[in-house]
Amino acid sequence: MTVQRRRSSYRLIAASAVTAGVIVVAGCSGSASDDEGAGTLSVLIAAPQEGAGKILEEEFEKTHDVDLTAEVVPYDQIQSKVTLDVQSGTSAYDVIQYWYPTVGVLAEAGALADITDWVAEDGDIDQADFIDAVYQPYTQYDGKTYGLPIDGDTHVLFYNKEIFERNGVEVPTTWEEYADVARTITENESADGVYGTALLGSKSAFNIGSSFFNRLATMSSEPIDSQMPQLDSDVAVEAAQAMLDVSEYALPSPLEIGFEQALPQFLAGKVGMMEFWTDLGVFAQDPEQSQIVDGWGVAPLPLGPEGSVSGALNAGWAMGISPNAADEDLAKEFVAFASSAETNEMLITTTGSGIDPTRTSTLESEDYAELVPEVAEVNEQVLPNAQSWPTSPAAPEMIQTLGDNLALMLQGNLSAEEAVADTWDTWQPLAG
Amino acid sequence: MMATRIRQAVRRPAHRTAWAGRAMLIPAVVAVGIIAVYPLVFSIAASVSDSNLGQQFTDWVGGANYAALLSYGVTLPSLGRSVVFALASAILALTGGSVVALCLDVSVRSGRVLRVLLLLPLMTPPVMAGVIWRLMLAPTGGLFNNVIQTISAGAEPFLFLGSSPAAMISVIVVDAWQWAPFCALLVFAALQTLPAEVYEAAQVDGAGALQVFRRVTLPLLLPSLLTTLLLKVVLSFKVFDLVFLMTGGGPGFDTTVSSYDIYRTGFQTFDIGMAAAQTIVFLVLVTIVILPLNAVRRRAQEGAS
Repeated sequence: MTVQRRRSSYRLIAASAVTAGVIVVAGCSGSASDDEGAGTLSVLIAAPQEGAGKILEEEFEKTHDVDLTAEVVPYDQIQSKVTLDVQSGTSAYDVIQYWYPTVGVLAEAGALADITDWVAEDGDIDQADFIDAVYQPYTQYDGKTYGLPIDGDTHVLFYNKEIFERNGVEVPTTWEEYADVARTITENESADGVYGTALLGSKSAFNIGSSFFNRLATMSSEPIDSQMPQLDSDVAVEAAQAMLDVSEYALPSPLEIGFEQALPQFLAGKVGMMEFWTDLGVFAQDPEQSQIVDGWGVAPLPLGPEGSVSGALNAGWAMGISPNAADEDLAKEFVAFASSAETNEMLITTTGSGIDPTRTSTLESEDYAELVPEVAEVNEQVLPNAQSWPTSPAAPEMIQTLGDNLALMLQGNLSAEEAVADTWDTWQPLAG
Repeated sequence: MMATRIRQAVRRPAHRTAWAGRAMLIPAVVAVGIIAVYPLVFSIAASVSDSNLGQQFTDWVGGANYAALLSYGVTLPSLGRSVVFALASAILALTGGSVVALCLDVSVRSGRVLRVLLLLPLMTPPVMAGVIWRLMLAPTGGLFNNVIQTISAGAEPFLFLGSSPAAMISVIVVDAWQWAPFCALLVFAALQTLPAEVYEAAQVDGAGALQVFRRVTLPLLLPSLLTTLLLKVVLSFKVFDLVFLMTGGGPGFDTTVSSYDIYRTGFQTFDIGMAAAQTIVFLVLVTIVILPLNAVRRRAQEGAS
């Protein structure tokens, strides 16, 4: 190495050291200034709720001196994310949005803090205003409270008025009528690409599970047992059979149809009717994405012989606090804000938020009724009577087994009786 | 005395060299330990324990997880599906890739642009490939069913991903589509190394194109083809993204291959013990398939050399 090259090397090393020093100092000064100013809050948001998450982030930052980071993850990964976060001690999240059937498993894994006392003592939360049918399954496990409801999701029946008129059919009030209407429309118009119904039969829980629990909730005279839904009953077989009966006349093929496939087909005027979340009413009135503006109607789900107006709590989100939250008070403040009556009303009247009422006051609010009058009217009948999916720690496994067997049924490999009986048998060891 | 000193002087560097060599091996040994041995030992330990995502190794259960997977009606068929998928997609990709490579070899020996274009499916992220193919194969509004409707108006849509065995065939074809360029590239590279003299001799002997392919190209290419096949079989066994995106393992369980089954057990029902047992059984299966294939490849290589 020549002297000149050695000098160049020394200069290079010196320059690198100075640069590194500047970066370190800049980094330290940056974090120091951050610490001096706003607090930080990390919120885990489920992908289907991304729109609402952004609104909550903006609104909370407007009124609080806080730097809120919302991490959006697929809904089926929330459980593994938060469990690993807590177990590993990483503690990356302060507030966790969870799908309510996972409340038991998350509480059992120690991923949600027990907030029973805080909820009971803080008068601003106004616990009594929450719709009881939503509040209980969304938040309770083993007699303790682990979260507050954000989105009270249930299904109602949407139909295309024009298709119904063309085919001379009425809005079905029983599941038998539902199958008849679907058959009539499909037989008349399937050659033109129009089908009587879209059956959500894709194996993911939100789809095939919703289709089953909709029928079970509206056919059974007894409410669904959220610890061990009564799959040993005749009505469970009838619910599965009702899915099978209509699958032949549904948008092909039910096993491939999830909400993301069904929604555009309904908005394009290719589907006569379908069970869907109430926020479809907002999409259907949006001329940018809907070809059926003012051409749709909504009704409660059809009923079974012994059922009453009801529905199942399909999807549905709550927010809980991590036991390792860095700033527990700030986390509580955010959960209280996100679940408050004011925020819920703001979200249910904002297009694209995907949020439904969780409180009696918002369900009956004038602004909501003005935005989607027909939907609000039906939702007022259905949501207070909506029934829960399983919420015990075994719920994820129970829901998966049910979905697997229902998919095998729709595929033609199992009868309705076999699908329900196989599911019940698999559930038994999970009961303890 | 002098002789002893010389011997010591010679021995010392040799001794040092041996230790230096061993020391230099340490990073490699550590890397192998971290990358291969630790996960394997962890998986074996988890497979004989009661473990979930939140709490691992809570209880020793012996062979209970293995017994449970034998009685669980999904795991064993999924192993069979993995073998079918791996062999079918590998053979299809290799056949398609070889045809492309031979065409390239004959027509454009140095067609770099064409080769880059051919690599496009391989460079497409699997997520995009899965989504695009799912849309194209959709029963309503999908490209293929639109073509069917154009040809035969009012025809029932064909359920590429919603019926059996069409779903498995569709996933195999899409996987082969994605990996055929990889095979083509390897086979094309191998074709460039074949000795020109053999072809000249065959020409002098008056051999036709088909005879040259059958008696010269194919035997010379066989070791490379088998190596490519081996690589592709291993890659195919690992398929997950296409199944996850295109069919979700359905309809029913028709496309639930082992990797997807393990994912369901580990990350949907969070039974890590059972998922580990499934992984070990899957590992044994892959070894059983790969070992004879590797032996054939080695024999072909020895024969060629």
